[in-house]
Formats: sequence, structure tokens, C-alpha cells
Amino acid sequence: MENNQQVVDPHPNPLPQGEGAWFHNISSPTCLSLPAMSSHPRCNAAEHQLSRRHFLGGLAGASSIATMGSFGGLLQPAVAEELKKQEKQVIFIWLDGGMSQLESWDPKPNTEFGGPFRAIPTSVPGIQVSELLKHSAKQMHHLAVVRSVSTKDNSHSAGVARIQRGDPKNRGVDYPFLGSAVAKLLGPCAGGLPPYVWVKPGSGGFIPGDGGFLGAKYGALALGDGKPPENLLMSANLTAEDDDLRNELRQKLNSKYVEQRRTDNSEANSYVYDVARKLSRRMDLFDETQVPERDRLRYGTHDLGRHMLLGRRMLEAGIRFVKVNSYGWDSHGDNFNASRSLVGKFDQAFAALIEDLAERKMLDNVLVIAMSEFGRTPKINSHVGRDHWPECWSVAMAGCGLQRGVAVGATTDRGHEVATDPYDIGHFFHTWFRALNLNPDEVMYDNHGQPLPIAHDECSAIPGVLA
Amino acid sequence: MPDLIPKITKTLTHNRQLWTARYSPCGKYLIAGGYDALILRWDVSGDEPKPLSPLTGHHGWVERIAFAGDTLITSDSWGCLTGWKYDQENPQPLWNVEQALDGWIRALALSPDGSTVAVAGNDSSIKLFAVKDGQLLATLPDHTDDVFSLAYHPDGKSLVAGDLKGVVHHWDLAEKKVVRKLEAALFSRTDRIQDCGGVRQLCFDAAGKQLLCGGMKEPGGGFAVGAPLVLVMDWESGKITHEMQHGDNKQGFVYDLAFHPTGFVMATSCAMPGTGLVWFWRIGEPAPFHVDKKLPNGRSLSLHPQHPTLAFVMAVSPNANGRPKGKDYLDGTSNIHFLTLAEKA
Repeated sequence: MENNQQVVDPHPNPLPQGEGAWFHNISSPTCLSLPAMSSHPRCNAAEHQLSRRHFLGGLAGASSIATMGSFGGLLQPAVAEELKKQEKQVIFIWLDGGMSQLESWDPKPNTEFGGPFRAIPTSVPGIQVSELLKHSAKQMHHLAVVRSVSTKDNSHSAGVARIQRGDPKNRGVDYPFLGSAVAKLLGPCAGGLPPYVWVKPGSGGFIPGDGGFLGAKYGALALGDGKPPENLLMSANLTAEDDDLRNELRQKLNSKYVEQRRTDNSEANSYVYDVARKLSRRMDLFDETQVPERDRLRYGTHDLGRHMLLGRRMLEAGIRFVKVNSYGWDSHGDNFNASRSLVGKFDQAFAALIEDLAERKMLDNVLVIAMSEFGRTPKINSHVGRDHWPECWSVAMAGCGLQRGVAVGATTDRGHEVATDPYDIGHFFHTWFRALNLNPDEVMYDNHGQPLPIAHDECSAIPGVLA
Repeated sequence: MPDLIPKITKTLTHNRQLWTARYSPCGKYLIAGGYDALILRWDVSGDEPKPLSPLTGHHGWVERIAFAGDTLITSDSWGCLTGWKYDQENPQPLWNVEQALDGWIRALALSPDGSTVAVAGNDSSIKLFAVKDGQLLATLPDHTDDVFSLAYHPDGKSLVAGDLKGVVHHWDLAEKKVVRKLEAALFSRTDRIQDCGGVRQLCFDAAGKQLLCGGMKEPGGGFAVGAPLVLVMDWESGKITHEMQHGDNKQGFVYDLAFHPTGFVMATSCAMPGTGLVWFWRIGEPAPFHVDKKLPNGRSLSLHPQHPTLAFVMAVSPNANGRPKGKDYLDGTSNIHFLTLAEKA
């Protein structure tokens, strides 16, 4: 490890309490159940001395530490304060199954594999996108699209995890998903709301597995169908005073529990309980009737529109990392009708999101990413479908200091190969972390003494994307 | 009426995928269109099909073509509609409407008198154009969803339009208004956020008493597999009288259907590569009298106007995730099989 690298231990919560003393533990049973999680026997008692209050206060500091690679374990208050002001945030739109690059960001109209759709001009002269992105085309001046994405896995099972974990070289550990990584490296925003929220169709709950070797605590709080976790709200019969007393009792019991069980489970349980309590004070976020009808219509009343709108509101409320998930993009059959329906809905919501973030001056500090695990084959199969194609596809991004109004990289005229430098997911992690003021050359994870890069150490940021 | 069974007698191949091939009313020509935006022509009056120079000028895909006497109407996915005198050696467009629709033309229908072509597609409108000069005659704008299929009633007074949501709109052409909405909801389903399926095909019988609607039963997204389904509607009542579903959910969308002059229904379907059927079925009978699984991935059927021959378009494009190793990366191809219909031995 180079001298200027900052090590971030993945298991303890980094808390600045004097030089070299920013590890601690929080453990408690909670009313929110979690799947079984592995313990970390190498944690030692000296790392578990700090209170929840310190922890919560310290997470913002953790973000600062993570970004200040040259400071070792020391926190420089002025810099930390500046970084806190910036409150970098991320909204990560995951189109599960694989959106076709040819029916979205990299059209090849009237060519062998181009399909039926036209290309249309955008707000940036010289950049065209598919006609299915008619709304996003008007927001192109805010966007950075990379068209020379070239990854490795052509199966969903490998691709989803590989892409969202950033695929560092095989280190013998499961890397965290991007949301967990950001939750660890930047911590919650100042309001203390959960740092990693996953808005998804279907069921919700706490998803510890996203945390990888960072531990369950850095998993995702999944809001099934955008609804709050079950049992989040305090009983109507319970007064605030009673609730405080109850919480005091819980904390005492937790202390005894932790003395006997210093496991990731107890840490994570306690952590989830705490952020859930904070979230319970923002139930307004889940009340769609508080959203102007105009906004609901602009984003679309379908799940993806509703969830992207909730994503924007989560960002406004101070969630550090919001993942918005859409399923059903795996168009092996009837791809062009599927794309017309799916891309159209994405386009409506995505354009509204970009427009809103720009209007609210949030794009300066919010990183927007829209992607899948791969693209789709140029070749059209007999069922008028496109299959999986990791070889050349596109990722759309915006904000947080990325260049605006650029299309980086290119594919061949037939759209079947990358024509310029190819970029794998590792390049994107470098780019995103740098946009978040995290320098992968300086910041590393510490997995029980094992230094691990936060992004693939053979990749680097994509030229032309960072401002 | 004896059962007629198809047998392949000749095959043409094309190096790109085709959507459709249709015999001209005179029977001398076979005209095709597909992914390469060309209008392909063959003189089929001799023993062997003789290729003629293709017609150019379209963009994107050519999915639908139609004949009105000696005029060929072609359309493309960029919204262009063109009229041609197809029996010339090197036909030039009689007329061309570059933006007949805003985007993909999914359906064409000729009025029974051959004077008007109805056009519909992804811009949720139906437009009527004069066959002789391509002039816009009327716009029927009340659709809210993509229109996939059109058919004129044989009396020429009504037009039906099948949409993405499984609704068949009955237009009164004199009043230019929708007078009925016939439900064909089995053809449409929302899978997660994807609107799937739709009424893909419409066809009246010669007497105008029955309307065939073709598509996939309860379609889904992703692999878009399901069972091919033809619904028979009684035109007067608008009620579904028969559900003609054959095959398992691998057999896919009905991509083309037509009445044989003797009264049975001919249809072809396509799902994942290697699946799909050609089947012949008399309305009212419990099952098709002929099912051919060796003709998968069908896209279109066209019966010769004088001979018992079907021109059958089949897509040939295997599915594969990622790049096949050691091969040139090329688009799929098509076969046009000439199927002679003969009495079952």
C-alpha cells in the first residue's frame, strides 16, 4: 500500500475520536429482523467503546475521512466541514435485465442491426439518441453518456453482482454493491437518514448481502413498491415520552446483549433500528398525495415513474444513496415492442428527474447513473428479440461534477464492437468515486488488515467524463 | 371439403430477415420487405422464381405491404408510405408520403374498392390516403395506444383497428367515429411495467360476418412466450364465438393469418428461435386439421391468387448471448418457402 493511501476499515464504524481511535461497535437487538449474517471474530474489544450517539454523529465524519486520503486517521475539521456542506449524493437507476443500447443511447438507424427506430437530435448539437428517448433528448445538455462500455459477463447471475460490485480483481471476498460502498465511504447525510435506500418493485426489507465484506450493516434498506418498512410507525397508543422510555430500555438491554455477542448481526440490527427510527419521522416521504399531481404525471404513474419520483424526494430529504430498480428489461423476445413500452417509461421518468435536479441546483452534488448489467445483442433473433451483449453498450450519467452534454466513446457503424477505448465497470467505479471526492488511489478498505482497493486497481477514471 | 396439407416445393433465401412476402393480385410477382428496407421482387410466373431489381427508398424496416390492383403500397418504420406500379421493369414511386405517420407503420389495409389505404402504427392515429396519388383523405385520431392491425369490412363502410391494449375499435367511416370497442383482452397484459402483446392481426371473412383477431394469449415480457391465439368474433354482435388456441406457450405470437377461400383459417406463429407453427383450422372444430412444427418462426403467409401455393416467410436467426466464437457477426436470414397445398393422402 502506498504511503498516501487512506485505509477504511470495513467492519467498525469509523469515528474520529482522537488519532487512531475511530473504530467502535454498536450492537443491539431490534424489532426489525435480519437474515443470518456472519460474525467477524477478529473484531476486538478496544474497537467497541463508543456510543450510538457518537456513531451517528461520526458517520458524517467518516465520509470526510474517506475522502481525505492523505490525513491518515486524522480528521481536519475545516475540510470535513466543507465536504459535509457538499453532501454528495447518488441516485442509481438499475434497469434489470439489460436495456438495449441500440434502442436508447447508441442508435444505429438504417443499419444492419439498427432495428426499426429513428435517431433524433438532442439538446446537444451532434449527439443523437433513439427516438424512444424523446424526453431525455431534451436533457442531453446535462448528461454524460458513455457508449464504449465493454464488460465481461453475459449472464444475469454473474453480471448483476459483478457490475454493481465494481468487479475488482478476485480478492477472495465479496465486494460491496455500489450503494453499500458509498454508505460506508460517505456515511449518512447530515440528517442521519439511512445512507443506502433501495426503491424497488415487490417486497422490501433490509438486504444485508449488498454490504459484502463491509458487513451487513451496510446493506440496503429496501422499500418494496416504495412503501416504508413494515412496523416502522410507532403505535398510535404510544406517546413520544413512552417511546423515549422504551428506547432507553432497549438501549440498556442492547448493552447487555452486546457484551455477550459482538457480531455483525447485533451491529446491523441496532443500526437498522436506529435509521428506521429516523425514517419513521419522515413518513411524509411515503405520502404520494403530498406530491403535486403535475409531478406524478411528469414522472409517470407506472412503477418506474413513481419510484424515480420517490427517489428524487429521498435525495431532497437527505438520503445519501438511492437505488431505483426496474425489472423486466430482458427482452429476448419482441424486443422492439418491449423497448417502446419500457424505454418510453424510463425516458419519461428519467428526463423529469434530470430536469428537476437541474432546476433545484441539485445536479452539482447528485450523481445520477442509469444502467443495466449489460446491453443487448446487435443481432436480432428469430423472435424479434435481442439477447445479452456485454461487448459494447452504454451507460448514462449526470451531475456531481461530471461533464455535461457529452457522449464519450463510440461503437462501430454496425454497433457490434467498441470502436474507441473500451471501459469496463472498474473504470466507472473510479469515475464515480472521484466524482464523489473519493480518490481510489488514496482510499482503501481494510478488511481485517487486508488492504483492498475501493475500485479495480487496473482501471482508472474515464477520460472526458470527469469535468 | 378435404383437408389441404402444405408441402415445401421450393425455397428462396434472403440474407436478411424478412417481415412479409405477398403475391401480387395478378399472381406474377412475389414482393417482400424486411429489415433491410428493400422491397424485394421476384417474377414467379415461370418454373423458378426470377429475382428482379429491388425497390429502394425506404428506411428502417418494411413490415407491411399491400396491393390495390396494379398499385403496390409499401411502408416503413420511419413513417414513410409509397405507391408504385409494381409491374414495371424498374418501378419508380408513383407517389411518396415521407411522414404518413410519425414513426413505425404497423398496419396497412386496402378499402374493398381499392381506392383508399388505411395506415396505422405507433403514433396512435389512423390515416386514410388515396391510392391513386397518396393524398391524405382523413385522419382518425381517437386512439390512445399503438395500433397494430387494421382491416376493412367487406362492405367498405367500417374499419377495425386492433391496439396494444387488446381493444378492437370499430370505426364508422362515414361518421368518422368509433362506434364500438370490441374487447379482445386476452391479447394484452401488463407485465411489470411493460405493456405486452396487443391485437397483432385482423381479418374479415369474405361475407363480413366473422372477424379474426390474432395475437398471443396473455403475453408476457422478457422472452415473450405464450400460446398463439386466434379469436373469432361475430361481427354483428361483437361477441367472441371461438377461441382457437393451439400449442403450448412456446409457440408465440400469431404473426399472420388469413382465410383460405374454402373457409378454413391459416395462421403462422413465432416465439423463441426454433419454435412456432403453421396451422390450418376450421372454425368450430375442436382442433386444427393440420399443424406443421417444421415451419417455425413464421412471419407471413400469402396464398397465390390462382394456384394452391402459399408463400411462407420464415426467420432464421438463432438466439445467443454474447458473441459466437470464431464466426462473422451477421444478421439473421430468411427463407421463403413455397408450400403447395394438396389433399391429404
